[in-house]
Amino acid sequence: MAFVIKAISVGLEYGMLLWLLYFVSRSVRYIWKDMRKMGRELSREEKARDGEAVLTVVGTNDQRQMGRRFALSEELSIGRGPDNDIVITDTFVSHHHAVVFQRNNLYIIKDLGSRNHTYVNDRKLNGKAYLRAGDLIRIGFLTLRFER
Amino acid sequence: MMTRGSWSLLLGPLGFLLMGLGVLFLQHSGGEFAVERVAGELSYLPWLLAVIFLAVFIHALLLHSRPQPDIWLFPCVMMFSSLGIVMIARLKPELLIPQLRWIIIGMVAFVVVLKFGKVISRFVQYQYILGLSCLLLLCLPLFFGTEIGGSRNWILLGSFRIQPSEFGKILLVFFLAAYLSDHRQVLSLPNLRLLFLWLPPLRFIAPLLVVWGMAILMFVVQRDLGSALLFFGIAVLMTYMATGSKSYVFLAVAFFCVAAAVSYTMFDHVKVRFDIWLDPWQDPSGTAYQVVQSLFAFGSGGIWGTGFAHGHPELIPEVHTDFIFAAAAEEFGLIGSLMILLTYVLFFYKGLQVALGCRTEGQILLAAGCNIVFFLQAFIILAGVTKFLPLTGITLPFVSYGGSSMVSSFILLGLLVSLSRKEQKNHG
Repeated sequence: MAFVIKAISVGLEYGMLLWLLYFVSRSVRYIWKDMRKMGRELSREEKARDGEAVLTVVGTNDQRQMGRRFALSEELSIGRGPDNDIVITDTFVSHHHAVVFQRNNLYIIKDLGSRNHTYVNDRKLNGKAYLRAGDLIRIGFLTLRFER
Repeated sequence: MMTRGSWSLLLGPLGFLLMGLGVLFLQHSGGEFAVERVAGELSYLPWLLAVIFLAVFIHALLLHSRPQPDIWLFPCVMMFSSLGIVMIARLKPELLIPQLRWIIIGMVAFVVVLKFGKVISRFVQYQYILGLSCLLLLCLPLFFGTEIGGSRNWILLGSFRIQPSEFGKILLVFFLAAYLSDHRQVLSLPNLRLLFLWLPPLRFIAPLLVVWGMAILMFVVQRDLGSALLFFGIAVLMTYMATGSKSYVFLAVAFFCVAAAVSYTMFDHVKVRFDIWLDPWQDPSGTAYQVVQSLFAFGSGGIWGTGFAHGHPELIPEVHTDFIFAAAAEEFGLIGSLMILLTYVLFFYKGLQVALGCRTEGQILLAAGCNIVFFLQAFIILAGVTKFLPLTGITLPFVSYGGSSMVSSFILLGLLVSLSRKEQKNHG
C-alpha cells in the first residue's frame, strides 16, 4: 500500500513538470503559428498594393507611421476626424483636411479649406491640383509621397 | 479564426494544478483514507471546483465571443495562478482558501472588465480626473494607513486589508495613457536645450514630474521600495514609448541615480538592502538571511529540482509572497524555472503584439502600459530574488499570495484582453 502511494506521488511529481513543459511547448507553437500567419498577411498586403497608386509616409514626427503605405482607390480622405481614410492625430490638421480622388486615371488632390493648408512640393495648395508620381504632400507634421 | 485545439491550452494549467494538489493530498494523508480525515484535508475542494469552473467558463466565453479577443493570454495567466495555488498549498496551507477566494474575485473582476472593456477604455478622455484620483488613492495610506511588514501602505477595511498602491497602478496607467496620447506632439517637439538633452517646456512635463515625485514620496514616507520603483519605471517606459525621445530616459536615469545616492546616505533600510546585494555573506544569518536562503534554494534545486514537496523552501522568510519564485526554482529546478521565465517572456511578447494591433494612440498606450506593469513587476522581483539587483519587495504577478495584487492584476489582464479584440480596419 505504502509503495503504491509512493509510486503514484512520484508519478504525479513528474507529471507536474511534464504538464508545465507541455503548456510551454503548446504556447510556443501557438505563438509561432500566429507569427507566421501575421507575416503571410503582411506580405500579401504588400503584394496587393504593388502596381497601383499609393501614398507613402516619408516624413513624420511619429516613427511608427514611417514608411506606411496607403492604397489609393476612388477617393481617399485625410484629416483629424476619425471618419477619414487616413486619420492624422495632429493638432495642426483640420477635421476634414484634404481629399485625393481619381478622375480618368489621374489623381487629384483637393484642399477642403483647411486652416493650416496643404502643401504640394512645398507650395501651398490652392483648391485642386493634379498629382504626378513623386509629388510630396505635406499636411501638418506628415509628409506623404505620391507613387504609381 | 478559432484554432483547432484551443481547449488544450487550458489543459496544461489544470493538469498541473490537480497533480500538484494530488501530491500534497497523498503526502498529508499518509496512507490513511478515513472519511473525516479526507474531508478535513480537502476542505478547499468547493473553492477549487469554483476556480476550475470559472476558468473553463471564461475560456469558453473568450472562444465564442466575436470579434474574437486573444485566447492565449488567459490560459497563460491560469498557468501562473496554478503555480501560485500549488506553491501556497505546499508552503502555507492555511492561506490556500483565501488565495482561491482572491482568484475567484479576480476572475469575476476580469469578466466584468471584459464585458465593459469598450466603456472603460473610453475613460482615457478624462485625464485629469484620472490623475487626481490616482494621487488621492496613493495618498490615502498617508492618513489612514497601517504599517504591516515594514511598509506603511495598507488600509484596513473591516477584516479586509487593501493595498491602495496596487489599484493606484491601474489608474496611473490610465492617466499616463491619456496624458501622453494627448500631449505626444508637444512632448516630442523639443525647444529647450539642456546640454545634450532636448526638452519641451516645463509646464508640459510637470505632470510627469509629479508622478516621479509621487514615487519618491511613497518611497520615503511609506518605505515601499518595490512600488516606488514600479511607479517610476512605468512612468519612464510609457513616456519613452509615447515620444520615442531618449532625453526623457536620460533625465529619468540621472534623477534615479541622484535619488538612489541620496537615499543610500540618508536611509538605513536602503543602505542595508544595497550592502546585502553587494555582499550577502557579511551577515548571512542576520540582515541577509532572506537573500542567502533564497540563493541556497536556487542552488539546492539544481537542474531537475528536488521534486515537488521535497525541498525546504519554508526556510526562506516571506516565501509565499515575494520569494515564491525561489521556492518554485528549488522544487522544479532550473528546467521548471526557465519554463516559468519563458512563459513570462511569451506573455510580454503577446501583450506587446496586442498593443501594436490597437487602433488609437490612447489604446496602444493603455495596452502597452498594462503590459509594462506585469513585465516590470516580474522583473523587479525576479531580479531581487536571484540577487541580480538589490531586493525590493513586490509581488510576482498572478503567482504570489496577495489579494489586492491578484485582483488588480486580473483587472489589468481584462483590459489587455478586451483591447485585443480585432475591430474592422478602416484603412491601410
